[in-house]
Amino acid sequence: MTDLIIGLILVVILGSAVGYIVKQKKKGAHCIGCASSGKCPKSCCTDKK
Amino acid sequence: MRIALIGNPNSGKTTMYNALTGRKEKTGNWAGVTVDSKESPVRSQFCSGAEDCVAVDLPGAYSMSPFTSEESITSSYVLNEKPDVIINIVDASNLSRSLFFTTQILELGIPVAVALNKSDINEKNNTQIDEALLSEKLGCPVVKTAAASQKGLKELMDTASSLVGKEQMAPFNPGQIDKDSREQVIASDRKRFAWVNTLVAKVEIREEQTKDQALTDAIDAALTNPVLGILSFAAVMFLVFYISQSTLGTMLSELLAGWIDTFGGWVDGLMAEGSPLLRSLILDGIIGGVGAVVGFLPLVMILYFLIALLEDCGYMSRATVVLDPIFKKVGLSGKAVIPMIMGTGCGIPAVMACRTIRNDRERRAAAMLATFMPCGAKLPVIALFAGMFFPGEKWVGPLMYFVGVLLILLGALLVRAVTDVKAGKSYFIIELPDYKLPDIRLAFGAMLSQGKAYILKAGTIILVCNTAVHLMQSFTPALKLVEEGMEHTSILAIIAQPFAVLLVPVVGMAAWQLAAAAVAGFIAKENVVGTLATVYALTSYIDTEELALISGGSEAAAVMGLTKAAALGYLMFNLFSPPCFAAIGAMRAELQSKTWLLAAVAMQLCFGFVVGFLAYQVGTLLTTGALGAGFGAGLAAIGAFAAVAALLIIRARRSVNKETEKVMA
Repeated sequence: MTDLIIGLILVVILGSAVGYIVKQKKKGAHCIGCASSGKCPKSCCTDKK
Repeated sequence: MRIALIGNPNSGKTTMYNALTGRKEKTGNWAGVTVDSKESPVRSQFCSGAEDCVAVDLPGAYSMSPFTSEESITSSYVLNEKPDVIINIVDASNLSRSLFFTTQILELGIPVAVALNKSDINEKNNTQIDEALLSEKLGCPVVKTAAASQKGLKELMDTASSLVGKEQMAPFNPGQIDKDSREQVIASDRKRFAWVNTLVAKVEIREEQTKDQALTDAIDAALTNPVLGILSFAAVMFLVFYISQSTLGTMLSELLAGWIDTFGGWVDGLMAEGSPLLRSLILDGIIGGVGAVVGFLPLVMILYFLIALLEDCGYMSRATVVLDPIFKKVGLSGKAVIPMIMGTGCGIPAVMACRTIRNDRERRAAAMLATFMPCGAKLPVIALFAGMFFPGEKWVGPLMYFVGVLLILLGALLVRAVTDVKAGKSYFIIELPDYKLPDIRLAFGAMLSQGKAYILKAGTIILVCNTAVHLMQSFTPALKLVEEGMEHTSILAIIAQPFAVLLVPVVGMAAWQLAAAAVAGFIAKENVVGTLATVYALTSYIDTEELALISGGSEAAAVMGLTKAAALGYLMFNLFSPPCFAAIGAMRAELQSKTWLLAAVAMQLCFGFVVGFLAYQVGTLLTTGALGAGFGAGLAAIGAFAAVAALLIIRARRSVNKETEKVMA
């Protein structure tokens, strides 16, 4: 029972982390949790000048 | 309503933008911080009209001439996007320099409101400006502001809103000039400056004249002196790294590491009867791996706090002046100092900051080399190895930064030799802002912002990576649990083993764990710490009764089986090999060439290998009297790198000679 509860908690935590990463990637962020996240415009990591 | 914020570098545009929009974009008391445009809605307290207001922050520019990419961003935006209103932010303490650009902006036909920013500094210096007369002469409204304390912003925005749709006349007529004619442009600029100086003489009353020697000048005489300046810079940076990595930072880190381990112990108690795999995943993989990274949070936050203080007080501009002659000698622009210093925080904005460099080759060279400075993400790696293998020794951290600077200089020489042997001279001009007491609130804000991003990264990328690493370490390719003593049969070991062979000249053994950590470091450098903590189960060696890292360090070091020399070699390899994928992506955008990008990654890999190899082999020779394992293979690899570099240099020289012969003929 303990294993099940802990396993579920783990799945929720990992799922949230993966979900956040996917959401950020879809928004175009290339630096998840990076100190410059949000300050790095598209031209930083994707578009050519 | 779209409002463009335009002005000279370091006039307070981003500070005003942050105040108007509630954003927290990076500011610094030196030119060159903003290199790209950003826009955001203005807060309702400043935008009382029915129409929504959007503020656009643009990089600083001294004129409308598109000489550097950040100036062309500004002029392109204004000419192509046609904002409804322009707020020209003028540094009130530097009126004569600021108004040159103002007169050019007024010629665009877009309504302009001038914000006389930093008015609080003028009040302190007893400098008076007659805004009414200035407004009459410029033909546009002038509003006193102090963006840092949000003074005058409501009045400014109300004034700007009232200008929408109105005509804007230009006070200065340059006449018809051929912009392709250098002589005509210079002559016109001289006339413009003369007009501005006449205007400033009428509207400004200064107590302190430029020709008077102020305390600032006396301090600058020392801080920009070629010898004293370098020594001061070295001392300042040593102090920053010493405080963050050896004293306060370490103390807080050990406290946090102890709490994390206590938490781990509590979870261990809860899971005493649980599945060994789940227990191991949570305790070693997640709490151990992520905890090892989070444990270094205080070091990172203190470093960012101190760097924010340095940036705000006005010292950074002086540092660039001091380092400029050294950088020029190796073929780098003096402006490359700015990205290098920014690289101590994060490599991505450091690479982006290179776009302020005009010369194509110098810009690309700077973008390739900026990530040699150990960034905040590499700080936990330094701290882990320093704590484990060199406890109590204060030189490890600062040494890594000085090696970074050395590699930048050597790399610049190599790039210059390979790309353009007879590089033309480039000029570097930077404004030295007044010194000021750093805003503790701002520095605190920067520290908290970086800390939040660090925790976010630990809770997402690091967490997912460590979980993946642990699972790959726990299962064989046939998806069976790995038996004790048979860790080398795990998925992780099988994937990492080929890379482990490459590390033999650097660490003296083919340890798949070290290879796995180094590879994981390309996702995020903090992963090196997390992965090592996971694969070696380092949490069991943290003693919470005593100083966490130090007392457990030697035991943890023994688990890893590395000598001090090998540890130093491995540390240097991780610090100076290619950065994380995100930083490589930033390099790709700035280099705009697959050839340059491949060359950059290859150079970083070679340099990382060479310094790691030298640290290990020389260290082993000094401590044992014999060379380390893999010496022959390592030397052969270095020989191959040198041969390739030599061929490229010879090819470059032949190409230059051919061009010279053609010109002579």
